[in-house]
Amino acid sequence: MPTYKDMVQPVRATDADMKKIHIDPVPDDQKCEKAIEYLDLMRKKFRSFVLAMESCVKCGACAENCHTYLGTKDPRNIPANRAELVRKIYKRYFTLEGRWLGKLVGAEDISLDVLEEWYSYFYQCSECRRCAMACPFGIDTCEVTMAVRQILHWLGIVPKLHAGVGAAMEKVGNHTGLPKPGIVDTLEFLSEEIMDEFGVEVNFPVDKPDSDILYVPSSADYLLNPYTLMGAGMYFTYIGANWTIPSTVSEAGNFGLLFDQMFTQRHNVTRLLDAAQNLGIKKIVWGECGHGWRAAKMYIPSLADRPVPWPITHIHDEVAYHVRTNQLKLDPNKVGHPTTLHDPCNYSRACDLQENLRTVIKACVADFREMYPNKERTFCCGGGSAILFDDPEMYQRRIQLSAKKAELVRATGVGANGDGYLCAPCSICKAQLYPMVEEHELGVEVKGLIDLVGKALVWK
Amino acid sequence: MSYFILQILPYVTGAVFTIGILYRLGRWARARIVHNITLSPFPKTNTEVATVFGTEVIFFRSLFKSDFALWIGAWFMHIALFSIIGGHVMGIYFLGKQFVYIGMSEGLSEFMSNLLGTTFGIIMFIALLYLLYRRFAIQKVREVTVTSDYLHLILLISIVAVGNIMRLIPDWGIHYEPVKEYVTYLVTLQPVPAEAEVLHTPLFAVHLLLVQILLMVFPFSKLMHVLGMFAERWIINRKYTEPAPGLPNIDIPAARAAGLGLPSEGGVE
Repeated sequence: MPTYKDMVQPVRATDADMKKIHIDPVPDDQKCEKAIEYLDLMRKKFRSFVLAMESCVKCGACAENCHTYLGTKDPRNIPANRAELVRKIYKRYFTLEGRWLGKLVGAEDISLDVLEEWYSYFYQCSECRRCAMACPFGIDTCEVTMAVRQILHWLGIVPKLHAGVGAAMEKVGNHTGLPKPGIVDTLEFLSEEIMDEFGVEVNFPVDKPDSDILYVPSSADYLLNPYTLMGAGMYFTYIGANWTIPSTVSEAGNFGLLFDQMFTQRHNVTRLLDAAQNLGIKKIVWGECGHGWRAAKMYIPSLADRPVPWPITHIHDEVAYHVRTNQLKLDPNKVGHPTTLHDPCNYSRACDLQENLRTVIKACVADFREMYPNKERTFCCGGGSAILFDDPEMYQRRIQLSAKKAELVRATGVGANGDGYLCAPCSICKAQLYPMVEEHELGVEVKGLIDLVGKALVWK
Repeated sequence: MSYFILQILPYVTGAVFTIGILYRLGRWARARIVHNITLSPFPKTNTEVATVFGTEVIFFRSLFKSDFALWIGAWFMHIALFSIIGGHVMGIYFLGKQFVYIGMSEGLSEFMSNLLGTTFGIIMFIALLYLLYRRFAIQKVREVTVTSDYLHLILLISIVAVGNIMRLIPDWGIHYEPVKEYVTYLVTLQPVPAEAEVLHTPLFAVHLLLVQILLMVFPFSKLMHVLGMFAERWIINRKYTEPAPGLPNIDIPAARAAGLGLPSEGGVE
């Protein structure tokens, strides 16, 4: 039942699913009381959340800057209004004006309906932070979404997709539930593919002790985006790196960031640090995954439960460095397609990767066309924060959420002849855009960025 | 009534305003900046951070880029507001002769003081009406508005309207001198004499009452955005130092010379 009082909702995790991620769902008659208790915890912990609750003037500048609102035209998807779904409760229980004046200042009592509203609207937010960039005060509605999703998680309300991924992360160390033998098999297969297609010998070392570089690929690359993993393998072979992929944490992503930053996210960080220590690593290099890179670059320093001696960089930081220092021989004419770049929001707004992406893509592609607005003003693909739900109602909504992006891709003209490339160097962007470029008939193929590096490398 | 508004209420207002703001700042300070949520492009130095703060605070840079129509109303309203607040302080303290210090004659200074005050008063009035109009006319803005948002605007508009009337109709207004005397009584905790002119200027009392309501509402409302802006930017615009690029034990020329990746025999493109 993916709707509730006309609100779309993702399919929910069952009690059994929740148990696997260590949550006993709160019974309905205690949900409201507990929600207030958890909200209190959030406001006492996160200043970013408190400020979003207390200093919004509701000017409406965020509305036209949110792809969710632009795609759905649902007023509750205006970032200020989405935050208002919590603010009305926050005011009622935690502010003097809300307690005394109630409705006049927009305060409202908590109810199960409100919780359902949270579940619907905070799982339509992509946590892309375009509103934070547009807001005159810099209020970051992503922080509100994260806080509410955490509360919902503790109440036992999580989409089946996210709960399943959380359980898989803990069980095998990646989102797709792929165990080590599967990883090794897939990588051997990719080696053969590389030999067939590029005539290059690439080995993918797994759990190799005394490696210098720990490469953390997105697990979607094993199945969905093989060229991304192949490109990374070719790059490391080309530069003669002593590298390895850890089987215990074969996942660049971290869904914990998206629904449970307390246990799920931290657990994955712990796995990573253990793996790095056991394999004698000198530097950790991250694969193509937007939210995962944000979780790694910006959250590991504050989530690690011990000192982190290993520098962590993104593979595109490293490729860009080698491009700038002219150490890679790349032939941009090998990629003979008009190509545009979709800036993943987590790279370009949360991780400052936007310039390096351009350094790399311009070295790999002859016919590169910018898509505007770009860099930190990029629009989300519509799948951000993994709202990649497959049930018919939510799938329809995904088409709406990607409408803005589709319009921008069309404006670049790369798909005019039906042979364009849309470079989207992020697993969630890829997963969202593979079907969406078909739905919107954009005439482009979705590619990763390191895929293009692999294709453009000149070996002799 | 005038006696209450002018003699007693200001102390209540001052207390509510000060304690209220301290209470709100305390709430913000209690919560921590837990994770690094700096926004791209990351400032590399504190000078860059200061530039971001400066352009945001003075020019409303983000708003300029993301909603120009709103920027027009908001920027002019706020510039007028701060000019007016500054004008009240300077004008009343120096009795309109503040511009003497930048080389004007006393007469010209008083003229300028009046001219600027009247001009900014009118600009602010128009800008506020525009902001109110926006709340009614633009659907997306109407959708984010609750009753108190209208009331804040109406309160501000009333204050400015009364102020403008006092400026434009001199008989209903008041000069700087009696106001300065009145402020002196207040600050030195002395009773205001019954014959003081401020007590017999009804619009002055109305203006002051509305301002005091605003100040008392201030700490318990979205008006705190003035301080919230600094607190929020303190979180999302911070200096960030990237780790050095370059991978350990890499020698690309040597790797290429050794032909790594190339099969021992057979064709490679």
